[in-house]
Amino acid sequence: IMEKSLAEFNKAGSQSTSSLPPEPVDVVSSKSCFRRVRLNVGGLPHEVLWRTLDRLPRTRLGKLQDCSSHESLMEVCDDYNLDENEYFFDRHPGAFTSILNFYRTGKLHMMEEMCALSFSQELDYWGIDEIYLESCCQARYHQKKEQMNEELKREADNLKDREGEEFDNTCCAEKRKKLWDLLEKPSSSVAAKILAIISILFIVLSTIALSLNTLPELQGTDEFGQSTDNPQLAHVEAVCIAWFTMEYLLRFLSSPNKWKFFKGPLNVIDLLAILPYYVTIFLTESNKSVLQFQNVRRVVQIFRIMRILRILKLARHSTGLQSLGFTLRRSYNELGLLILFLAMGIMIFSSLVFFAEKDEEDTKFKSIPASFWWATITMTTVGYGDIYPKTLLGKIVGGLCCIAGVLVIALPIPIIVNNFSEFYKEQKRQEKALKRREALERAKRNGSIVSMNLKEAFARSAELMDVVVEKNDRPHDNHLSPSRWKWSPKRAVSETSSNRSFIVQDLGSENKGRNSSPQKLNVQKLEEMYNQMAKTQSQPNLNAKGSRVGKRRDEIELGTIQDHGPPMLGTTDGVGDMKSLSSIDSYISCATDFQENSRFPQSTATDLCHNESNRSSHNPAIALPQHSVAKTGQQSTRAPMLTPIIVPKPSCSENARRFLFSGNASKSLFSKGGCRNEKEPGPSPLSDSSILSDHSLLSPEVSVYTTASSRTPPKSPESTTLAPTVFTFHDSSISKYIDADTDDDEHLRDISDASPTDCLLSGSSPKRSININYQRAANHLEAAQKMLGQNCLFPREGICGVPHENHFGPEIGRRQKGERVRQNTLDKSH
Amino acid sequence: MWTIPKPRYRTSSCGEPEITVNIGGVRVVLFRDVLNRYPESRLAELVNCSSAQNPELFSSLCDDFDPGRREFYFDRDPDAFKCIIDVYYFDEIHIKHGICPICFIKEMEFWKIDQSALDECCKSYLSEKEGELKEIASKVKVILEDMEVDQSATGTQRCQRFLWRLMEKPGSSFPARVVAIASFLSVLVSAVVMCVGTIPELQVTDAEGELVEHPTLEAIEMGCMLWFTAEYLLRLASSPNKLHFALSFMNIVDFMAIMPFYVVLSLTYLGTSSMMELGNVQQAVQALRIMRIARVFKLARHSSGLQTLTYALKKSLKELGLLLMYMGVGIFVFSALGYTMEQSHPETLFRSIPQSFWWAIITMTTVGYGDIYPKTTLGKCNAAVSFLCGVIAIALPIHPIINNFVVFYNKQQVLETAAKHEVELMELKSAGDERRKNSDKDDTYRE
Repeated sequence: IMEKSLAEFNKAGSQSTSSLPPEPVDVVSSKSCFRRVRLNVGGLPHEVLWRTLDRLPRTRLGKLQDCSSHESLMEVCDDYNLDENEYFFDRHPGAFTSILNFYRTGKLHMMEEMCALSFSQELDYWGIDEIYLESCCQARYHQKKEQMNEELKREADNLKDREGEEFDNTCCAEKRKKLWDLLEKPSSSVAAKILAIISILFIVLSTIALSLNTLPELQGTDEFGQSTDNPQLAHVEAVCIAWFTMEYLLRFLSSPNKWKFFKGPLNVIDLLAILPYYVTIFLTESNKSVLQFQNVRRVVQIFRIMRILRILKLARHSTGLQSLGFTLRRSYNELGLLILFLAMGIMIFSSLVFFAEKDEEDTKFKSIPASFWWATITMTTVGYGDIYPKTLLGKIVGGLCCIAGVLVIALPIPIIVNNFSEFYKEQKRQEKALKRREALERAKRNGSIVSMNLKEAFARSAELMDVVVEKNDRPHDNHLSPSRWKWSPKRAVSETSSNRSFIVQDLGSENKGRNSSPQKLNVQKLEEMYNQMAKTQSQPNLNAKGSRVGKRRDEIELGTIQDHGPPMLGTTDGVGDMKSLSSIDSYISCATDFQENSRFPQSTATDLCHNESNRSSHNPAIALPQHSVAKTGQQSTRAPMLTPIIVPKPSCSENARRFLFSGNASKSLFSKGGCRNEKEPGPSPLSDSSILSDHSLLSPEVSVYTTASSRTPPKSPESTTLAPTVFTFHDSSISKYIDADTDDDEHLRDISDASPTDCLLSGSSPKRSININYQRAANHLEAAQKMLGQNCLFPREGICGVPHENHFGPEIGRRQKGERVRQNTLDKSH
Repeated sequence: MWTIPKPRYRTSSCGEPEITVNIGGVRVVLFRDVLNRYPESRLAELVNCSSAQNPELFSSLCDDFDPGRREFYFDRDPDAFKCIIDVYYFDEIHIKHGICPICFIKEMEFWKIDQSALDECCKSYLSEKEGELKEIASKVKVILEDMEVDQSATGTQRCQRFLWRLMEKPGSSFPARVVAIASFLSVLVSAVVMCVGTIPELQVTDAEGELVEHPTLEAIEMGCMLWFTAEYLLRLASSPNKLHFALSFMNIVDFMAIMPFYVVLSLTYLGTSSMMELGNVQQAVQALRIMRIARVFKLARHSSGLQTLTYALKKSLKELGLLLMYMGVGIFVFSALGYTMEQSHPETLFRSIPQSFWWAIITMTTVGYGDIYPKTTLGKCNAAVSFLCGVIAIALPIHPIINNFVVFYNKQQVLETAAKHEVELMELKSAGDERRKNSDKDDTYRE
């Protein structure tokens, strides 16, 4: 009975993998069967006791245990395999290590190199509150997070500033924008640069004139016997002021937001540089008769002195001055500290020296406030020598005062310096980021990529994203099926072929039926989102997306209709196309995952094989050549009918897969079965059918890839095929982005999470993306060779050194065991 | 790796030489001989038990055992294990970069490997972290003490507690904040009054023709002193530990700020009642007036920056001593040199070596009043050298002091937030425990 239940459970497992949801009973029984559970997070396998996960029942992993149905399981994890007792989560594996340790030890620590923001996102995903973070890591975490938030806020502000520069409301917006660029952005054009230089020259000239004006030799005398300005210098002054006024007015007129312009610190400085001149003129003219009065003269003098403020106008042209200003503003706390220290020191030492010196004859320390001056000059080590202590006690105090002054001034200054250097670095970084963003926008306008503006997404915070993803979750659920496909039935080979084909057929139609409506829905939603998020996005892409989905549906139907001749073959083909269209990305990414992660070599490649083998396992091996030929015909006839955007999609996948299996096909097409056979333990109870399936495992692949190669020139990637492949890949990378955005919420999330450089790279330089894809393809080739080499070409002992090997053996063994068990059950049922 | 003997050729006493362990999903094959190098460790115990073939013993040591594959499963972090396993091979452990050392130590405890196996290079990092944790813990303690709900039964105790909070914790309530601001302002006012009172124009001549302070200033001074006294007494009365209170730095400062006023009062009373000679009283009063300056230090109570400064100075006493020593040596050397070199000049300002100390100090600290300056060429050269040496002598020891200050200043805020979160975490955990207890109760009830 025990055996039987186990067998049933196995059957259930195979059902689940053929994308029919398993019964809740099976899920529960699977959980009760194993004490441990295997968690695959982003390709990194972990093994953990169920008991451990139960410690935090409200978190995601804790809920995993309570899940009893397929739907609830799929809500919690991204994919699962009951036979292997493995659950897959498409998340960052690095963060998960520390999170799993939280379950094990009850202490949440954080990996040091982890970005705090990303870690907090991971914590959100796994449903763990950040408050559990241990205090040793908490300090770092919060520091980083606050820093990050500040940065994001600043970036958002910047963005708002840039958005604010919209010239849409009033007349001659175009001209005003040009003028604004000319005056405000010296880097925008040569003319603007020249204007900036002229402006700097005027500032320098006017300051020199101002200083020269006070030289007694150059001054004249007016009727009251007071010295006045030199007439030539007054002309220079007038010209400079005229220039400044004109500049200010033009800026003001062209500014998009008048009030904001008025408030800007740089513009306030500008105003302060101009105003005194006019005020002076006004006062002199209106009070000509009473100018001899001292009061009026003094006011005029003050305003004359205020003219020196124009030297601050240089700040507009120097980022160094700006960062100095910003630093002072930001470190007012430390400046306050410095002043407090100094004030306390001055007070203490001046009173001390006062008491020490006050009885001296002819002393200058007449009172404590009078000795403040001495204390200040001594503490700052200036030492004019107009006041100095004369008594012994006073000298001792003076010596202490010097040393204390040096200390007290030196202490807070490094903090201010630190602020300055940080800000300076930050500013440089921002300049780079600005350039990057501009490049991104240019690329978007050119239409080479469709991606969300990450910064904007951040600025609006991830909530919007989450909402959209959640909304899309349901309709996308069936779209996850391709990823379920990849956990393909490993034991279905031994099932009866007729049953199997029916299931597949049903599934195919079901998928088709379900596909159409939710997809449209998604497109609409995504369009809305795009309109919100990326205004600059070009329209044609949206259209392309819309049409693309429709066309794809057409294509699917087309495929099924055309292939209807041999019914079984037709269905498989249809399903295959489905898969190739919608799950290419997952295939590629999985394959690369597998590439990068040597510890999990088993999953994809072999699954792929099994999947393929499964699909055509009912075909006699001899019929395969014809099959492939027929398919070639179909494919090639279909190809021209597809729109240029669609074409590259399958070709992309097929290219990838061609690379994957071309080595295979040339090398070990027929030797493989034998080798595998050899490798299996001698008295294996495996039936012939399974061996046969191993044979047939390769054949459909070959057929598919020969189809692909019939269109694109075949052979190794080093040869001349590079050029055409490159071309298709270029298009495919575009359509991949579209595709990713439209039909797969997983990919949506991917894109939102992806580093901007990635998007940028693939977008702005198509060449780069080609290279990536090409590399992937090459990787496939290598991988395939490696895998197959291990699998069949060499005897097993020969590859002991390969790190995969460790993992490899038992897996195969287990699968065989499973197959054996099923074989037994089949026998019994017979 | 070279040191590992090839166990394959050794006939081990207990069956198979290898043992397979599965640590959180990562399978590792280990040799028994290697594991037995640390017999106290968990793995060595496991090996010894496994030879005994006692499954019950296994379960106490490992989390799961797969008899088919003879695989021992441990529900632990595989990353940390990869580092810890090094101890069997190299006799030392290095913490992998990125793993929190506290977390790593916990793992080492689980595998029953002594902390001493950790290599020196990683130990310093660990101790740094531990120091930080300790500081956080002390802060948490303070916060928890503040938060403690007073369950003191008697009314006087409650009153005392209320007063303590009012006077010592400005963040606890609005009145407490008002009290803090008032005390800050009174310190400022009294300091200003003290300074202004010495200006001759604002002084008045008393009956004996001597200048004394203006009566209004005196009145303000009196008011401030009364406030200080009241404050001090209230603090003293409400403090839980009187001796500790009286000896703490800030309170000594407070006491020093109050005490001169009362001493002067009593002395003048004694003087007027002619119990003592008037001249002596006057001198004593003068000396005590200087002590009024101490009230400026009262500001430190209200400024975290000043507290940081005192902390940094306290921590870098050694460096301060170094600074003074450098200066002292420099002063002696250069004043002696200056004195000898200036002897040749007929109108020299360097009349003796102690007199030229002053010149040396003023030169080395780059103040340069110009009251004494060298006149001979050799003396001027000496002055240039002494100036350079002074700059170096000051700059070198000051750097660690500054560093202490900056580090402490930066760490302060971070630790503050960390402590707050720690408190929240503790609350959460205690709440969780209670909930768990409740649910346990429910479970037992259900059963």
